[in-house]
Amino acid sequence: MILLADMDAFFASVEQAHHPHLRGQPVIVCGDPGRRGVVTAASYEARPTGVRAGMPLAEARRLCPDAHYVSGNPEKYVALSLRLLEFYLTFTPDVEPFSVDEAFLAVGRIGGTLAEAAEIAARIQSGIRERFALPASIGVGPNKLIAKMASGVAKPSGLTMLDVESFRAHFWPQPARELWGIGPQLEERLTALGVRTMGDLARHSPEILKGAFGVIGPQLREAANGHDETPLIPYHQGVEPKSMGHEVTLPADSHDPVALEGTLLRLSDQVARRLRGEGYMGRTVALKLRDFRFTTHIRQRSRIAPTADHAQIFALARDLWRELWDGEPVRLIGVTVAGLTKVHASDQGELFTSGERGARLREAVDRVRDRLGEASVVPAGTLGHHTELGHVPFGAVSPRAPKPRRKP
Amino acid sequence: MFESLNDPVDVLTAFVDGAMRPLRFRWQGRVIRVKKVTGRWTRREGQTLVQCFSVEGGGAETYELHYDPRGPRWVLSRAWTG
Repeated sequence: MILLADMDAFFASVEQAHHPHLRGQPVIVCGDPGRRGVVTAASYEARPTGVRAGMPLAEARRLCPDAHYVSGNPEKYVALSLRLLEFYLTFTPDVEPFSVDEAFLAVGRIGGTLAEAAEIAARIQSGIRERFALPASIGVGPNKLIAKMASGVAKPSGLTMLDVESFRAHFWPQPARELWGIGPQLEERLTALGVRTMGDLARHSPEILKGAFGVIGPQLREAANGHDETPLIPYHQGVEPKSMGHEVTLPADSHDPVALEGTLLRLSDQVARRLRGEGYMGRTVALKLRDFRFTTHIRQRSRIAPTADHAQIFALARDLWRELWDGEPVRLIGVTVAGLTKVHASDQGELFTSGERGARLREAVDRVRDRLGEASVVPAGTLGHHTELGHVPFGAVSPRAPKPRRKP
Repeated sequence: MFESLNDPVDVLTAFVDGAMRPLRFRWQGRVIRVKKVTGRWTRREGQTLVQCFSVEGGGAETYELHYDPRGPRWVLSRAWTG
């Protein structure tokens, strides 16, 4: 049997656990509450006002002016997430982290019952509450799809077990968009086919679905029937990442090309550092740009050879930037590298011949950063155009970085 | 609301079963007794592992203390004093 343990409003709940005066109060976790940005997480006390993760902070303040706005601490949440994984491993070796606040667990004996698995889930849930003072919802099912969807049935602090029959009874009357993996665009296309509920999808002709959506069509139908054979990949086996990226919401909308390209360089450097740190190179560079109207544009391009060099990533990102940006004020910039391949010792040799001096420089910079922290060495082009080196969510930069010198 | 501080502070610390625990600290001329450690985590800066604690003081106030072994030094990172 599979469990999906989902931490309820994880970041906000951590702040409530660590700061007891926040318990029972609406809490909104964001970047810097004094600057603009977006809501990272909202506690269950804040949600009735309509505040949701991803919403602009200004809108959240209008909807929920009395909430506690708390500056998030990504390192703290990641550290807690790892401790939660260690806790899950005391119940089963088969734990697959799904996100910072969700993990799949395979529990019980082969051929065990839902009720047996639910007993283990109840022990895990109370253990999380006692050890971490955090609420979690757990879904129990015969496969990952059902466990995932069951975890959302009774939040917060819910424990829901569903077999295939009860999955169908519960979800078939619900809109098709409730199925895991169906977004607004897919929902629109399903509606055009006359598919409104999950039950409609489960009973629809697989041939018509294949004609409309390709191979994914019959897969959606199988999922709506509660069928899923996706294997659980245990933590210790590792999961290969598909992409790595960083993005930043700017302190204020900007149309200063030098400052914006400086930010692009900083993001490219951070992505390149992560790629090298985890032993990957990537071929495809994607640029994300959100303008002052909150419209998001994404453009990507592939290189012939994969790279983990910040200068090469930046060069491609800057080309995309210059094609995409129309001079309007920009709110957010992101750089992602996809099409990842693991670097082997033989690949490194090839890399070095194509630019040995650059490779040696990168190695030296990486050694300094490993020892002294991420902000100990940064590309000069990133300095002078921003004041807060640490203002990159989940960016591994040290708060001890020296402030950039301002010109007199 | 929370106040971001990063003030160096003196902290009376206990080491129990290999783990450190702040007991009292001096801040703004006051000695604040740690009633409860409500959370602990670590933060990496290069090779250095900074130990972080969220703690409850005697009243309803809460604080975040960071121990940096490079000093060694303690820093009061944030405070919520109502």
